[in-house]
Amino acid sequence: MALPLAGFLAYSFFRVEGGAIVHEPGLANYARFFGEGVFLPVFARTCLLAAEVAAITLLIGYPVAIWLATLEGQRKLAMTLAFAVPLLMSYIIKIYAIRAILGGQGWLNRLLLWSGLTTAPIEALLFNLTAVLITLSALLLPFTILPIFVALERIPRNLYEASADLGGTAWTTFRHVVWPLSRSGALIGASFTFVLAMGDFVTPQMVGGMSGITFGRIVYSQFGLAFNWPFGAALSVVLTLVVLAVLWLAAVFGRLPGAAR
Amino acid sequence: MPSPTRRTLLAAAAALGLLGGIGTASAAEELRILAWQGYADDDWVAEFEKETGAKVSVVYAQTDDEIWSKIKGSEGEDFDLFAVNTSELQRYIDAGLAVPHDLSKIPNQAKTLPQFRDLSQVRGVTRDGKVYGIPFAFDSIGLIYDTTKVSPPPDSMSVLWDPKYKGKILLYDASAHNFSFAALAEGIETPFNLTDAQLQELKAKLIELQKNALSYYQSADEALQIYNSNDVALIFANFGQQQLKAMKDAGAPIAYVVPKEGALAWLDTWALSKGAKNPDLAEKWVNFVVQEKISDALTKRNGFGNTVTPLASAGGNDKLVYLLPVEDFQKRSDLWNEVKAAAQ
Repeated sequence: MALPLAGFLAYSFFRVEGGAIVHEPGLANYARFFGEGVFLPVFARTCLLAAEVAAITLLIGYPVAIWLATLEGQRKLAMTLAFAVPLLMSYIIKIYAIRAILGGQGWLNRLLLWSGLTTAPIEALLFNLTAVLITLSALLLPFTILPIFVALERIPRNLYEASADLGGTAWTTFRHVVWPLSRSGALIGASFTFVLAMGDFVTPQMVGGMSGITFGRIVYSQFGLAFNWPFGAALSVVLTLVVLAVLWLAAVFGRLPGAAR
Repeated sequence: MPSPTRRTLLAAAAALGLLGGIGTASAAEELRILAWQGYADDDWVAEFEKETGAKVSVVYAQTDDEIWSKIKGSEGEDFDLFAVNTSELQRYIDAGLAVPHDLSKIPNQAKTLPQFRDLSQVRGVTRDGKVYGIPFAFDSIGLIYDTTKVSPPPDSMSVLWDPKYKGKILLYDASAHNFSFAALAEGIETPFNLTDAQLQELKAKLIELQKNALSYYQSADEALQIYNSNDVALIFANFGQQQLKAMKDAGAPIAYVVPKEGALAWLDTWALSKGAKNPDLAEKWVNFVVQEKISDALTKRNGFGNTVTPLASAGGNDKLVYLLPVEDFQKRSDLWNEVKAAAQ
């Protein structure tokens, strides 16, 4: 696995001249990434978008995971599967489905109009950055729910009882028992989601409309007719470094005192 | 040395049997094709396999970019035959990825329509007297409009910039074509050979166009899907009459127009790959699909033109501007990224 990554790193120092790759090391690609005015802003916006997606999935996913953990037996299994099964479906098909739902004449608008909740279709749900946010959150939600669920499951039942015996309310139990012990699960889930959202170039293409260009899309475009593999490799290296930094931070915070080991 | 035990004899027999098995498996020839959807339908493949006893494997591509990265990326080793646009073919010839055809193995080529019969007259398919691409399918890149939403009927691509249709336009996401059609709309006579100044001017125009559009699409199906669940009035028809047919078949009230400044038009050909393991078999396939029965089916099923039977919907007065290699693919791609990033 290290070999392709090493290959990428090597390529990032080469350049392209006249449609052919010149194998001479140089920092031109990195200079271009930081210097030319279009790449850093898009990169920054993509980081922000990915962070928002991670935050949203955490806010929704955490309560869902807690609810799943409180279920018993068959129902627990069924509901957990219900949230895990979408991971087995094709990524593109899910985006197609969401796109059909969010459109001006899509299912959601038709439902709202029919029920009388709105009098005109809401056009602002598709083909913009909001649509990318909604879609990515929906697609990546299971990645946040599952690690939190697993962490919650590992909390011994008798800790809840002990907390109640000592006079703790539900909130106190959560604050002093549940949160510290499941915090690392939440961090893992959120960082997975961040990483996946960072690199995604399909979702912005399909639901982002005209303002939906993200960093992944720029990297992707270097590997087609532009045939600028070295530059694409350099962009990928930058992306990889940021992703590694995020994962490292998540690991560090997960090990702070009070968190489950 | 002791005489071979029964076990050793059995092992040897098994090994020989295995080798023999591998031998017969590789005796069946294989043809590996890289093409656009519709160029190698299952029933044609089945008929060809029956006729020749060969095995055919087909991989579909969705963009010119993809074909280039698959062929260049494998240095021609992954495929025997690939479909390629005349405007792209020169690039493959320059890179040594396409090799000349042997016309003596493609007798059906002599029975194509007059404009395709003399290959030296078809721009982009020859180099130094040798033929590198056999024409197969063509279409124009025009404008599709919803007859219930757009009136009067448009006659130029410049209607895409009309603020009346803001948020109701679909564009195709690819760098080269967007600069070319914008150049034609601006009245530039050399849309494939733009100066830096012209490119910058067109970049500004395209940024304006972006603000008027709803979304990009990458395939004909996708355009139809977006049209179905959104209020779309105009579509830049990268897949031309094929797209028109698909949308009409789905019941959409749309019509097609070739703009008065001229529509870009493409001609797809079959090219022989440098890494072709069985060139004769590849030539057999080309000969097979350039026969009237298959080429006619190509048009009936997909809507675009073929090289053997005339196309009913193409107008005689249509001004078609056949695609040529652009001045700098990389530059256009970079500028296109800037256009897209500017719409924030």
